[in-house]
Amino acid sequence: MEYIGEHSFIGNIGQAFISIAFVAAILAAFCFYKASKNTSDQSDWRKVARASFIIHGISVIGIVATLFIMIYNHYFEYQYVWQHSSRDLPARYMLSCFWEGQEGSFLLWTFWNVLLGGILIRRAHKWEFSVMSIVSVIQVFLSSMLLGIYVFGVKIGSSPFILIRNLEENIGLPWTEMVDYLQKIPQFMDGRGLNPLLQNYWMVIHPPVLFLGFALTMIPFTYAIAALWKKQYAQWVKEALPWAFTGVLVLGTGILMGGAWAYESLSFGGFWAWDPVENSSLVPWITLIASAHLMLIFKARKSALRATFALTILTFLLILYSTYLTRSGVLGDTSVHAFAGGLPDQLLIYLLTFVLVSAYLFISRYKHIPTIEKDEETSSREFWMFIGAMVLFISAFQITWFTSLPVINKVLGTHMAPPIDAIALYNSWQTPFALIIVVLIGVSQFLSYKKTDIKKLGKQLSFSIISSAFLAMLLAYSLDMWHLLYVVLLWATIFAAIANFDYWRRILQGKLRIAGPSIAHMGFAFVVMGALLSNANKQVISMNDSFISKDFPSNENLLLEKGDTVAMGDYYVHYKYDTLKGINMNYHVEYFEKNEAGQLEFQFSLDPFIQLNEIMGNVAEPATEHFLLYDVYTHLTYADVDEHDSNDPYHHESLININQGDSVIYDKHFLYLDSLMVSTKNDLSSQTALDVMLIAKIRMKNMLGEESATQAVYAVKNNTAQYFPGFLIDGELKYKFVFSDVNTEAGSIQIKAFEHIDNEKPFIVLKAIIFPYINLLWIGMVLMAVGTLIAVIQLFKKSKP
Amino acid sequence: MKKTEIVLILLIAVIIGVVLSLTYNASTYITFADAEKRMGKEFTVIGDLNKEKEISFKPRLNLLTFYATDSLANERKVYYHDAKPQDFERSEKITMTGFATDSGFVANTILMKCPSKYNEQQLVELDSIALH
Repeated sequence: MEYIGEHSFIGNIGQAFISIAFVAAILAAFCFYKASKNTSDQSDWRKVARASFIIHGISVIGIVATLFIMIYNHYFEYQYVWQHSSRDLPARYMLSCFWEGQEGSFLLWTFWNVLLGGILIRRAHKWEFSVMSIVSVIQVFLSSMLLGIYVFGVKIGSSPFILIRNLEENIGLPWTEMVDYLQKIPQFMDGRGLNPLLQNYWMVIHPPVLFLGFALTMIPFTYAIAALWKKQYAQWVKEALPWAFTGVLVLGTGILMGGAWAYESLSFGGFWAWDPVENSSLVPWITLIASAHLMLIFKARKSALRATFALTILTFLLILYSTYLTRSGVLGDTSVHAFAGGLPDQLLIYLLTFVLVSAYLFISRYKHIPTIEKDEETSSREFWMFIGAMVLFISAFQITWFTSLPVINKVLGTHMAPPIDAIALYNSWQTPFALIIVVLIGVSQFLSYKKTDIKKLGKQLSFSIISSAFLAMLLAYSLDMWHLLYVVLLWATIFAAIANFDYWRRILQGKLRIAGPSIAHMGFAFVVMGALLSNANKQVISMNDSFISKDFPSNENLLLEKGDTVAMGDYYVHYKYDTLKGINMNYHVEYFEKNEAGQLEFQFSLDPFIQLNEIMGNVAEPATEHFLLYDVYTHLTYADVDEHDSNDPYHHESLININQGDSVIYDKHFLYLDSLMVSTKNDLSSQTALDVMLIAKIRMKNMLGEESATQAVYAVKNNTAQYFPGFLIDGELKYKFVFSDVNTEAGSIQIKAFEHIDNEKPFIVLKAIIFPYINLLWIGMVLMAVGTLIAVIQLFKKSKP
Repeated sequence: MKKTEIVLILLIAVIIGVVLSLTYNASTYITFADAEKRMGKEFTVIGDLNKEKEISFKPRLNLLTFYATDSLANERKVYYHDAKPQDFERSEKITMTGFATDSGFVANTILMKCPSKYNEQQLVELDSIALH
């Protein structure tokens, strides 16, 4: 059967690409494995292996291109296109459709792996065969997630190229037999569109960067596994090291972009909420930093190799685990933005395969991994770097363990609920870890490998320690922040920043080329400093405890009527007007401050807005005014987006069912239906002839007993209903009543009552928070990225043979 | 004893601490009736939103009230003193942390789960077409 207007050809092409990609990955894995055996026919295997991987790569790019063409041309007969895009979606957000859905995000991951695989083929030289056979196995698993085929009744993967009429749930339904279903069924005219939260520029770049970060952890992992497999325990570290730091750079940038997005466009008021989805990308980053630093220890001192293996492998496994957590639906009740449903079993098989194989290799080779018998000096750099790596590991473990609560429940059959105040709990665990790390960051560069002269160290650090203590006290005093742990952490961050700057100026003599570690460490210190200062001292200025007891969160919201000016913290806020710009309803709020003469002086204005989205619901997005030393964050917790007809000033419809002689309460008034009259072939204030006319006499009484009356008319002419509403006025309140229907069974009539838009002043409810020194956080992030980039460039240069 | 071994012992000790502290810090999923035995103490209750009954949001009071049924099919009125979350009416399961009072359950945080939000809804729509 030919369906009219259906683009089935392109879907078949896409599906074919998926199958080729899958088969070619299997072939590549097999041939790379054969080539790694070092037999005489190695070069033949190499040829086939490389060709297979290239075919796999081209197919993956083909899948991406096909899907993009389908989204771009609005082929809504396809499930993926229908579900994630719409006709009015701006072109700049079309790529975001790729990461809204499961299939698209696996595709993105597969795509990055293809590029990295290509680089490895060119660069890995003697490691190519063993490393690439593992990469190919990973690609087999990933592309199987896209297959969407049934094998012995079990569905494997989920294809983005499935037609809606071919969905399992729809097969056999009558409409799927309609040749012209695309024309007949209005639902196919447009897709459901992209989640409004993803229609944001941060969400265009954050997911691809994050996924590249995920993909990059694959490279050190495959080297480590290849090294265990081929029993060449030492040389891999040199190869993997620059890649590990590239991963640190990219994954870190991706996570921080997510934080920036949350801060700028989410409503929770902050950049980090310890949400399971956030945690599961943070944890692998932390262990990756630990493993990269362990590699540095090994490179310098040939020690800590077992720990290096363990953490490098663990990092990748944690990536798989986090994919399982966030995409299998296991998080369920504990996360706001976990993906529902999905491919739980397949993900679990993927995870367990790699866990078991890695564990087997690591345990069986453990005894053969070379170690150094001699103990490390307590004053050596490597000792403290090792301590740092272990603290990072514990920090990652704590986050993982607490995030895994739903998994623990599942395994043990328990019913533990997440802690009541999870954010405070995570903070109280992580603050001491951060303190140790930051102090180590400040000290460790001044330490020498093997042994450090303690006296000399004291001399070199004394300036940093004293000046940072002074600055920390000054800052704590200015913020009135005297929580002991916070003050100590504040000191530590300032100390680490100054010490690293000092190291770069004096010891490295200001050379930028080798300044990477110093700059990155300084950046990390700033990130912690910014997070500490902005979080510990954040001030909700919209505090309002006028009508509810103090402990309720409600007192963080302020009600503001249009045209009113209300005191809020040190500011006076004025809600001036609202305008509709595209799909955004902007609420213009002006901020004033009182000057010495007692007059209000305009400071700045903000436009927090509500993105209107009929299908998925409206989304409020905050607006923030940035200053050098603090930010003023403003978010709408409520705004009336009711759009009324400009010709009709009445809104807020209420349905009233009323019998003759009865009364109801409506908007602080009693409403009576005094009588109901029927007349035929009558004339109503005009020459129009009517077939039937029903007249409802309505009376309204206010609380003072004052009354007014009107009549609403329901008429039928030529079999069409006509409505002649009645109007009532009580002082400044105006109402409109439409006699809309008759219920003959109940003997009642239905009246639609409307309020005049002037009855109630429009108002918004907003929440405003001041975040002090939050710019330190962003500056730190940039420094960290720049520093790591410089270090990565340096590492790649050194690793060239 | 080598220093690294001491470090490892310390490491294991902290890990055991982390592992055990979870059970200490975790709260428990309970029913409304259990929460009422200790009024005013915070608990986590999972309930189904009753869509038949009134869901009211009064922005001027900043108060959302709705009815939820717990796992034992007991229904309570829930007070939530904050803005109504996006798509609240569509949610099915609601995880609430808060405490019981005489007049109902006061939720400090609510987390909604709408499994049908993106997937099943369309099928319902298309099914209804098929029937016409």
